[in-house]
Amino acid sequence: MEPYELTLADAAAAIAAKDLSPVELTESVLRRVAATDGDLRAYVRVDPDRARVAAARAAREIAAGRPRGPLHGVPFALKDLIDVKGWPTTASSRVRAGHVATEDSAVAARLDAAGAVLLGKTHTHEFAYGLTTPQTRNAWDPGRIAGGSSGGSAVAVAAGQAAFTLGTDTGGSIRVPAALNGVVGLKPTYGLVPRHGVTSLSWSLDHVGPLTRTVRDARLVLDALTGHDPRDPASLTAGPLTQPPHAEGDLTGLRVGVPRTYYFDRVAPDVESAVRDAIARLRDLGAELVDVEIPLTRYVQAVQWGLMVPEASAYHEDTLRSEPGRYGEDVRVLLEAGELFHAGDYLRAQRARTLMRQQWARLFEGVDVVAAPAVPLTAVPAGKQSVTWGDGSVEAVSDSYVRLSAPANITGAPALTVPVGQDRAGLPIGMQLIGRPLGERAVLRAGRAYELTRADAGRLAPAAAVEATP
Amino acid sequence: MTAVHLAPHEVARWALRAGLPLEGDRLDGVTATAQHIHAVVSTLRELDFGEVPPAFAYAAASSGAAVSSYAPGEEAGHGAV
Repeated sequence: MEPYELTLADAAAAIAAKDLSPVELTESVLRRVAATDGDLRAYVRVDPDRARVAAARAAREIAAGRPRGPLHGVPFALKDLIDVKGWPTTASSRVRAGHVATEDSAVAARLDAAGAVLLGKTHTHEFAYGLTTPQTRNAWDPGRIAGGSSGGSAVAVAAGQAAFTLGTDTGGSIRVPAALNGVVGLKPTYGLVPRHGVTSLSWSLDHVGPLTRTVRDARLVLDALTGHDPRDPASLTAGPLTQPPHAEGDLTGLRVGVPRTYYFDRVAPDVESAVRDAIARLRDLGAELVDVEIPLTRYVQAVQWGLMVPEASAYHEDTLRSEPGRYGEDVRVLLEAGELFHAGDYLRAQRARTLMRQQWARLFEGVDVVAAPAVPLTAVPAGKQSVTWGDGSVEAVSDSYVRLSAPANITGAPALTVPVGQDRAGLPIGMQLIGRPLGERAVLRAGRAYELTRADAGRLAPAAAVEATP
Repeated sequence: MTAVHLAPHEVARWALRAGLPLEGDRLDGVTATAQHIHAVVSTLRELDFGEVPPAFAYAAASSGAAVSSYAPGEEAGHGAV
């Protein structure tokens, strides 16, 4: 096994045992990037020299008996919406030509303090305003979309090009690409991870979180990211998670909500089957399954758009006037149309959000976690614009991918996607586990217990593995 | 839901009022997109909000957590399980 094949937790254990040095690990991952990224194009930028310096420093510190924790000496990448001092934050957009970040984002600074080794920046759908990330190819099938907007971050993890990455999630942009590339993605509770230094799409919906190969890895990264930062006005005071008081793998006492409505409507049969099988495994592990009704489902898209569209247009107000031709057409037309949005519609969306939060809070009086598909269908071929469902309805691909993600953005609830198998075309399927606000422990507990039942947990994408030429 | 559609020349005037001049070749695409967005968000008019405040109502005296918009955990207490 090459070092790049190790999960974050296994790499950290090998480093702690002195079986692996951060330098060896980083060189292995850099070789992996060089061997695969010409095809996958997950990265906007790779800085091998900087990574080697950081890895060597980590190796010296660890050798001197000063380990900083499980991320020390572990290579990672950031979605290119996240500032790193001295580097451009391109947002994968020509609008950002010439941009240079003047300071580290809060999360970049925290990962640096944890001793993690920054490799580079990964592609986003332009300014995170889309669900495909067209620059990047799916790690399992290069003819299919990576998903978005954190497509580069998901593909990099799936292909072994980084031990972990960070993404952002406004309407599913961590969970969608994670599901489509067979990795784990966690959208934490709104405000748990500070967003200072992260380019916004929609202030009231944006979240930052990890993409990893396993749930265990996601927890390790989350622990390094949490804690109050006054520079993000939504930042919560909740601190790092502590270890749960449960035996790992035992779900006795956990109440898992199984939606009777919404989350299994207009879902591909293979996706439904895999997720229901996974829910049955949660029951076998001791969880109590409880049928639940999802509230206000008719208004999910209206609230999501009612918040996101005007907030995005407000963020881009200046550059939409000064250099509109530098935006991609799909993003530009949304930003322009958002200029026509009524304040009354925005306020209705904010008031409907209050209702949704209240009704989801009541739902969570009866369960600890809701289990559902992450996305209704696996990765579509690049260029496909719409999907026709069994009931004859036609849905835009982007609307389909957002549909099951948006409730957790609107309510701020933590939501995790975990790989639960593949469809008949061999493409990965994700199960979403949604918790009550600040319920990360329950979500991670359920996800971790599930992944312990799978022999293939933490696997690399097979298509990328085939390309692996040392 | 309102069935009122804007014509492209009306979209041009609205956009200009917002300080965004739109050239002629932009109008059809922006009009269609704006109409679609409007149709989606108009469903919110069906809801009876009563005294429900917007989610961004904030606590000015808060020190630290979630001083601006929105504290997602407040209605549920702490979610540790």
